[in-house]
Formats: sequence, structure tokens, C-alpha cells
Amino acid sequence: MQPPRENVHDRLPGEAPRWLHGELPVNVRAGQGTTISGDLAFKRFLSGRTPALVLGAHCTMDGVQFAVGADGVVEIGEYCYFTNVVLLCELAVQVGSYVVIGWNVTIADTDFHPIAPALRIADAIACSPLGQGRPRPPIPRQPVVIEDDVWIGPNATILKGVRIGAGAFVEPGALITRDVPARARVAGNPAEVIGRL
Amino acid sequence: MAADRTLPWDWFPGKIPANVTVADSAYVETSFSFLLYRSERTSGVTIGRGASTYLGTMFDVGPNGRVSLGDYALVHGARIICDADVTIDDYALISWNVVVMDSYRVPLDPDARRDEVRRLAHRQPRRLEGGAPAQPVCVGRGAWIGFDSCVLPGVTVGAGAIVGARSVVTVDVEPFTIVAGNPARPIRRLTDEEMAHGR
Repeated sequence: MQPPRENVHDRLPGEAPRWLHGELPVNVRAGQGTTISGDLAFKRFLSGRTPALVLGAHCTMDGVQFAVGADGVVEIGEYCYFTNVVLLCELAVQVGSYVVIGWNVTIADTDFHPIAPALRIADAIACSPLGQGRPRPPIPRQPVVIEDDVWIGPNATILKGVRIGAGAFVEPGALITRDVPARARVAGNPAEVIGRL
Repeated sequence: MAADRTLPWDWFPGKIPANVTVADSAYVETSFSFLLYRSERTSGVTIGRGASTYLGTMFDVGPNGRVSLGDYALVHGARIICDADVTIDDYALISWNVVVMDSYRVPLDPDARRDEVRRLAHRQPRRLEGGAPAQPVCVGRGAWIGFDSCVLPGVTVGAGAIVGARSVVTVDVEPFTIVAGNPARPIRRLTDEEMAHGR
């Protein structure tokens, strides 16, 4: 781990968008006052799309890892506050505005590997050093949508194809496998609605 | 800890804050654990005799927060989110990626939450400042919290209890009881044989 040269929290709202560890990749668009920290933020940012990552103004992305595959597109609104989030995107992850995501949360819009055992073996071969450029089989992926004003607690997990409705409150450690209604409070593994806000 | 409050073995160029008390026999792996520390209390963190905190442990302590680690407590990489009081008693074992939090730091109501998040971006430093009341958390003497678990605001984990890996503890845990799951549920009490073993 590299020590940060400065603190992500010590930023002024009017400043130009910045990644504290280097130049932002060319296919990243970010609004005023938005700050990204963490030397691993773009280590697995492989998207060929332009833009591949859009961030609104006044966002604080503290230690977020944008692991975005070749076709992945991530869109994040304004005033979002993420802490050590791992964002795994092969297709589309859309996040609204005023969204807070806590420490060590994982969001994935893909299964990473096929379900069918024969395809999984083919995928293991394609991914191996002996794969020699063999193409990987198709892998299920579905967009993740997180609407405005959602709060997601630390250690939670959001899986593919899920829509989290506006204002929802995801308790720490929850595992989200299905849609969450707007203004619902959800908890558990698998997560269930435990209240309404 | 050296006289200037640096740690001679530290990879991070930081110091142990002035209002943190570390026993001479305690081990703090890195001052990076205090990156988010901002307690203004007389003793914002106390680390007892023979206690140790390793890389990954973060004292995310707000201005009114106070964390107490007892003697021989072992914290292997926990995120301690504290705006009031988090007490980790003697001999407690806290595993990696555990979250112990005494506050959600945001209001439950979505509209109030939006107001807090909007203000946050214009604050320096940009930190959530307790938009929700904190409820003290206590991990009892000799309790053991498995990896990736969360201990939520207001919870007391009883002495000698065991929390299984990846559990989310939402209500108090009885002493000398094993709980697991998300939400965590009691599995069983420690047996008389276990209680007597090694005494």
C-alpha cells in the first residue's frame, strides 16, 4: 500500500476533479470538486468505452477500485460518498446522486463465469496462461442500478441485475440479490425488507 | 512508540495522536490506523497492556468518540466507527474486516440524509458528522468476533461469546454463547465441559 500524498477529505468544492495518485484516465469524466483517492483506483480499469466512467460534481471516492471490463460503463451522479468500494463492472453500473456507500462494499454486474459446467471448464482454460488467446464463453451480466439517496452500509454486497430504489437503506453486511423497493430498509443474507422509511 | 509519537517500525509517515494512550507493552502496527481519527475527548483511544492492533485497523473516531481496548485485546484489522463509546474488553479477539460501529452517521429519513450528504461535500474535512444518534457498543471480556462480521450500534457482545465469520450482530449476545448468521442468531451456549477446559 502506498501512503496517500494528501487526504481525500481535505478538498474544496470549487476545485477541478482529481485523482490524488496520478492523471485521470482519458475516458473518465468528472465534475467540479470530485476527488478520487487510492493507488488501486484504476489498476483494473480496462474499459474501451468513451466515456467509461462519468462522475458528477462534489463526489468523494475514497479508496474506490474501479474494476471496469472492456465494455463496462459506470455512471455516478452528484454528491456521492464512497469509502473503499470495489466496483466490478462488465456492462453497466448506474448510481444516482446523494448515494453513500460504506467501507468494503462490493458491487458486481456480472457472474464472472458461466453456470454450465462445460462452459466453466472452457472459461477456466481461456483464462489460464495456456489459453493462448482463446475467447471466453458468454457470461451472464445485467446492469446494476442504484437510485438517488440510497445508503449502503459497510461490508454489504450488491449482485448483478439489482435495482435499489430511491432513498433505500441497506444495513451493514446485507447481501442484495433482488430489487429493493424505494425507501425500504433491508438487512440480512439474502436481504429482506425489515422496515419502511 | 518513540518520544515524538512516531512508531519506529512504521511504513506510514504519521504519528500517534496526542490524546491517544498506548500502554508501553502494547503493539500498534501503523499510525495509518489513525488517518480518520478526530476525537477531541481527553482520551480518544486507549490501548491496554499487551494489546495489539494490526494493519487494516482503522480508528474512525468522531469528535465525541472514545474507543477503549482492554489488556491483551487483539484487533487484527477492524473498522471501528465511533461517535460515542466503543469498549473492547480485556482478551477480546477481533478478526479481519470486522466492522464495529456505534453510529450510522446518517439519518434514516431519506430527505434528511440528502441534506447531510449535500453539506458533507462543502465541509473540510469531508466527513459525516453524526447525522444520527450514537449508541455505545461493547465487546465483552474474552469475546471472539469472526472475520467480515459487523457489530451494529447499541449491541453488547457478552463475555466469552463467539460470533461466527461474516455474521451481522444486530441484538445483544449472551455471555459464553455462540451466534452466527446474517442477522446473527444463537447457535448454542458453551458447554460445561468447554467452560471448565483449561481452567
